[in-house]
Amino acid sequence: MPITGVYFIPSNPNASTALQIVTERLRAAFPNEELTPIGRWGLEQKLLRDTPGLLPSSSSNKKPPNPRYMQFLSLTHYPTHGFIYTSEPEKPAPEPNQSQNQSSPGAPGPVNGIAPDHSPSPPMVMTTIPPSSYGTLFHHFTYACQPFWCHRLTLTVPNGIVYEVGDFRVRLGDVRQTFPTARVRGTVIEIEWRGPSVVEAIPLDQEDGSFSAGVDAGADGDVDVETAGIDLASSAIEESDIDAEYAATASLIREFWGRLGVEAREAILIPNVGMEVKNRLRRWKKAESGVDAKVDTMVDGAGSVIVERAEEDPDPWSGTDVARQFMEVLRFNR
Amino acid sequence: MHEQSLFASVPVHQHHELLQQLAGLTAMQPRHCLERRLIFKAYRKPGLAGRVGATQDLQQADLQRLNKMLNGNMYYTQVVGPVSERDFGSTAPVDRDIQMAGVDDSKPSGTSSPSYDYERQQWKLEFRDIPEAGTRSAVTSRLMSSATLPRGDVVQAMNAWGYHFTTEYLVEGDMFVLNDIAIFLHRVLHYPGGDELNTPRRQLPALKDMVLFEKSGSYVLQAFIIVQDGSNQETMKTASQHLFGLREQLKSAVLLEQADRLSLDTRAK
Repeated sequence: MPITGVYFIPSNPNASTALQIVTERLRAAFPNEELTPIGRWGLEQKLLRDTPGLLPSSSSNKKPPNPRYMQFLSLTHYPTHGFIYTSEPEKPAPEPNQSQNQSSPGAPGPVNGIAPDHSPSPPMVMTTIPPSSYGTLFHHFTYACQPFWCHRLTLTVPNGIVYEVGDFRVRLGDVRQTFPTARVRGTVIEIEWRGPSVVEAIPLDQEDGSFSAGVDAGADGDVDVETAGIDLASSAIEESDIDAEYAATASLIREFWGRLGVEAREAILIPNVGMEVKNRLRRWKKAESGVDAKVDTMVDGAGSVIVERAEEDPDPWSGTDVARQFMEVLRFNR
Repeated sequence: MHEQSLFASVPVHQHHELLQQLAGLTAMQPRHCLERRLIFKAYRKPGLAGRVGATQDLQQADLQRLNKMLNGNMYYTQVVGPVSERDFGSTAPVDRDIQMAGVDDSKPSGTSSPSYDYERQQWKLEFRDIPEAGTRSAVTSRLMSSATLPRGDVVQAMNAWGYHFTTEYLVEGDMFVLNDIAIFLHRVLHYPGGDELNTPRRQLPALKDMVLFEKSGSYVLQAFIIVQDGSNQETMKTASQHLFGLREQLKSAVLLEQADRLSLDTRAK
């Protein structure tokens, strides 16, 4: 899973899109790079909100509860799954005078001044589901869960462009709102670091519980195997290294963006970014510590029920970081 | 998607015979299935009416729509996971750390005893609406959806989505396919020891310890067709005619009929 940053430039009355400006600035800032599109990309995001929270306040002296959201996101560069990011439910509190603010310590607010217009968000649960389930689940929630989920927004990037600039891959696109009314929202830019990274050195865990060497193959299909460039034992990587790597790469991405000199909303080191990478590291360390344990899981896997094999996702957690970043910048007056 | 079905009750003494008949009719060997089924219930927040919300300017029409949504139906839904016989009565996968520290590796049980790994269990969300009322056709027709969920523990995601775990049971049965009709001859098993747990089981008891829900051990025969586009009257009609055709073929053995609508009510009160 590559480390990424996402920027969003809202449209204003003078300029509905910043696509031209960003492309020009890219060309000017990196004169030695041949700026030719290497592909297309697309995005769709659907935002749902808890229905009760949409009602106007009936008694104004009460503290507003934490609004809850469910976001569906699909990205063409992660074709094996869609993402669902949902606010955690409030702890069941039978007393009516539950103190809402107690959830704030547990909820890390936006780091680094991202999205200053948003109050601290409650903890969120990330789920990835196969593409076939993506639409089905959305319909399920809008049909069977009306008392608690209300579809608020659909946004798409119908026709984005991908550029390769040095060690970075840049995805640009115009964001259009298609529901409830059609309108232009602005321009979104994803910057992906493709240089060597400790994160890429953590192997994927396979279906049978073993680990394959190699990089994130789920993303593009054209991933250069050599980009990992680092070969380490599991014992050599600690979780603090992951944090450091994210911080270092974030500064590289910021530097890259800084060279363009465009004002934008940023999402890089947002809450929970890197969580899946750390989980993978944990599983890897656990697997390495007991090699013979692999044997019996493989025996078990051999005869396991063969159902939905076609839907098996090689790496269900790839792309969760960038999904979170997109969801962070694409939250409008919800 | 819509599911159209016909049901029949099959006494236990007829089970073996019917299995043979279905194998002959469909020209296939029965496919034995064991499914864990977790029941989740949609929950309404307590004290809904007094809750306050965002300060968006709501139009009257919006308000009406929201109120209608708030009073909409809520449902029970099932999360279904296929399991195999070897998963029953087994231990959890040996923790690697413990195995390393364990006495020896000569003990054969370490590798030969099957293990059930809840963290790798596959799941599907299976939703069924209450059967449609007032249809002239004599089949049970209901809106359905089926979506693959991530492996492992689904409870956290389901909680976030607005469902909480209620109980679980097991279905054992045999599946046949005849053209576009799926035929499922099955019965429900309960876990021994009742429902004291409020999370799905991480280990499964021995299969022989499972308790029959219907004490006589009788089976349910469900013949169903899944219609992708339920709004297409033509395909819906064709599907029910195919089911009637099967009913005629099995007439001498079992009586396939429409189920009582309210007995299949999935709405949560």
